[in-house]
Amino acid sequence: MTVPIHLRHDETFVLNLGPQHPATHGVLRVKLTMDGEYIVKAEPVLGYIHRMHEKLAEAGSFAQFMPNTARMDYLHALAFNHGWALVVEKSAGIEVPERAEYIRVITVELNRIASHLLWWAAFLLDLGGFTPLLYAFDDREKVIDLLERVTGSRLTYCYMRFGGVYNDIDDEFIAGTRDFIKRLRGRMPSLYHDLVTHNIILIKRIKDIGIITPEQCRRYGATGPVARGSGINYDVRKNEPYSVYPEFDFDVPVFDECDSMARYMVRMHEMEQSLRIIEQALDKLPDGPVMGKAPKVLKPDAGYYYSAVETARGSLGHRLICDGGKNPYKLKLRSPTFSNLSLYGEVAEGMLLADALAFMGSLDLVIPEIDR
Amino acid sequence: MGEENLPSSIVQFAQLDKLLNLGRANSLWPMTFGLACCAIEMMCTGGSRYDISRFGAEVFRPSPRQSDVMIVAGTINKKLELAVKTLYDQMPEPKWVIAMGNCAISGGPFKVKENYNVVEGADKLFPVDVYIPGCPPRPEALLEGIMTLEEKITGKRRWPRVQAG
Amino acid sequence: MNMLEKTQAAFAELFPQAEAGEGATEAATRQPGVLRTDPARHGSHLDVLCGPDQVVAVARIMDREGYFLEAVSGVDWLEKQQLEIIYDYNRLGGEHCRVMVRTQVPRSEPVVPSVSAVFPAADWHERETFDFYGVHFQDHPNLIRILLPEDADFHPLLKDFTP
Repeated sequence: MTVPIHLRHDETFVLNLGPQHPATHGVLRVKLTMDGEYIVKAEPVLGYIHRMHEKLAEAGSFAQFMPNTARMDYLHALAFNHGWALVVEKSAGIEVPERAEYIRVITVELNRIASHLLWWAAFLLDLGGFTPLLYAFDDREKVIDLLERVTGSRLTYCYMRFGGVYNDIDDEFIAGTRDFIKRLRGRMPSLYHDLVTHNIILIKRIKDIGIITPEQCRRYGATGPVARGSGINYDVRKNEPYSVYPEFDFDVPVFDECDSMARYMVRMHEMEQSLRIIEQALDKLPDGPVMGKAPKVLKPDAGYYYSAVETARGSLGHRLICDGGKNPYKLKLRSPTFSNLSLYGEVAEGMLLADALAFMGSLDLVIPEIDR
Repeated sequence: MGEENLPSSIVQFAQLDKLLNLGRANSLWPMTFGLACCAIEMMCTGGSRYDISRFGAEVFRPSPRQSDVMIVAGTINKKLELAVKTLYDQMPEPKWVIAMGNCAISGGPFKVKENYNVVEGADKLFPVDVYIPGCPPRPEALLEGIMTLEEKITGKRRWPRVQAG
Repeated sequence: MNMLEKTQAAFAELFPQAEAGEGATEAATRQPGVLRTDPARHGSHLDVLCGPDQVVAVARIMDREGYFLEAVSGVDWLEKQQLEIIYDYNRLGGEHCRVMVRTQVPRSEPVVPSVSAVFPAADWHERETFDFYGVHFQDHPNLIRILLPEDADFHPLLKDFTP
C-alpha cells in the first residue's frame, strides 16, 4: 500500500457505500472513513443477505441441501453442487461412474466460463463501460442455453446427485458445445482483447491498483484468481485433484504483478484453459451410466470430513461433521470470497475511492456466498 | 348545500390522465435493487437477447429518487429491512413495486421452521403491485411482469396473451 | 522428508507423546495429540486435538511451517455439553497437506484465546464463530457480530436454539 499524500486523520468524514449500490455486486456495505477522496479506513459490513444455509443444512437431510448449494454462489452453482456431492460421497463411500465424472467436469467448466463472462461484464460496468456487458451476455446466453438443455435451469442448477448426475447429455449438447468453443475462441482476440484488454483507459484504471502481496494472501487465506494474480501457484484442481481432473492437460495461469490487471489476466486466461478442458473431456467422453448406486436414505459413518473444489472465485471447502444420523450434524461452508474480502480493509487504505471500487471489482465478489 | 355529487374539480382531466398513464407505463424506470440470484436474471433481461429496452425500462437508476418502480429481486433480511423500507419511502409518487422471485413473494425456500433472519415476503413491508413467481423467474417472466404492471397502470394490455396449443 | 512428516515433527515439542490410531473419528477417550487421518476419506492429513490454551502455540507452529488458515468452525455437542472449535490449516501451493486442529471448551463458559495476532484471517472467522455459537475469543481486536444484526441477542447455530 503506497500512501501518495499525507493523510490527515483528524479531518475525516464517514461515507457509507451500500448496501444498495450499483457497484457492490450485491448487498455489501462498506463504511469508509475518508480524507477528501482518499480512504483512511475501509470496513466491510456483512450480513445483509445472510440466509441461514448452515442452519438449514442441519435441519434437512443430505439430499435436501442440494438446492441450497446453488443459491449461495449462483454464478458458479455447479461447482457448489459438486463440492457438496463430493464431501457426501467421500463420507458415505459412494462410487461415481466415469461418464458422470466427465459430464460433471464439462458442465462445471462451462459454468466457470459463464461466471467469468459475467464478472468481466460487471467489472467493466463498474469502471464505466456499458458495451462489454452486452457482448458478454450474448456469449453467456449461449452457455446457459446449453446448460439448460441438460439441467433444466438457467442459473441455480440442482443437477448433481450423490453418485453422479441425474440427466445424461445428448449429441445435440455435444455438437452445441463444440460450436460454442469455436465461437468463443474466435471472438476472444478481437472482441475481448482488442476492444477491452488492450484499451488504454482500462489499463490506466487497473494497472498497479490494489497490490496484494503473496504474504498478505497467505495471512488472509485468499485463494483463486486473487492468489494466482499475486504469483501463488495454487489451484485445487492441480494441488488437491478431485474427480477426473488429473486426466486433462491444462495450465494454471499465474501472474506476478499482484495488481488488478494481473487478476484480470488470470481470469481471461482461465476461460481459455476451461475451453481446453472441455474439448479434451468431449473427446475422451466414455459411455456408461450416469448415476451410481446410492442408498435411498443416506447415513454416513460418524466423523469429520472435508472436501475442497475450485470455483471461479477460489477454493470452496465443505467441513462436514456426521453423527451417523440422516441429517448432517454440522456443515461449515468455507466460502472463498469471505477470505478474499477480509483483506479489503488492509489493502484499500490510502486508495482513491474510484481505485477502491476498481479493486473491489477485481476481487470478484458474490455477496450471498460471503453471507451464506 | 347538502349531499350533492360534485365533481372533484370544475375542469375534468380524464383524457390527460390516460395520456400520462400511457407515458408512465411505457417508460418505467426501475431502481437497481438486485439483492441475490434474481438480480442476475434481471441483468439478463437488460441484455440484448431479452431486451427490456423494448418496453422503455432499460434505464436502471441507482437512486430511488429518480425511479418509478422498485423491482425487489432477492431475499429481504431482518438486517436489510430498514434499508428497504427507507428506499421505498424515498421513491417519489407515483411508484410501483414488483416482487420478483419466490423470496420476495413469501420468503421462498427460506420460509422454514428454523427461519430466524429472513423476512417472509416484500409485502410485509410495503404494498406490492405485481408478483412474479420463480426461483429465479426466467427473463420472459420478468417481461410478463412488466407488461402486467403496464396493464395495471393503463388498463390495457400491450400484447394479447399467447394462447396455449 | 515430506511435508506431512515435517509437520508432524514440528508438533513434537507441544505433544511429546506419540499417538497411535486413526484420527477424524470420535474416539470415546482421546488425549491431546496428533493423529494421522486418511486424506482420501476425511480430506485432512493430520488431526490435532489440543487444549484451548495451546491453540495459539499450534497456530504459531503452523505459521512457521508456512500454512494458511483456511477456516474456523464451531460444533455444538449438546449431549456432551461441549463446544468444539475446529481450525483448518492448508498450504498455498507446493506439496499439499491439510491439518485439522480442534479444541473443546465447556458449553457454559466457551472461552478460547484468539489466533488473529498470528493469522489476520482469523479476525472474521472468529467473529462468525462468536456470532453463531457465542464463543468468546480473548484478545480479539473487534469481537462483534458479523452476519446477524448487531443487536441480535441469540446464537442461532446452537442445537437448542428455536427462533
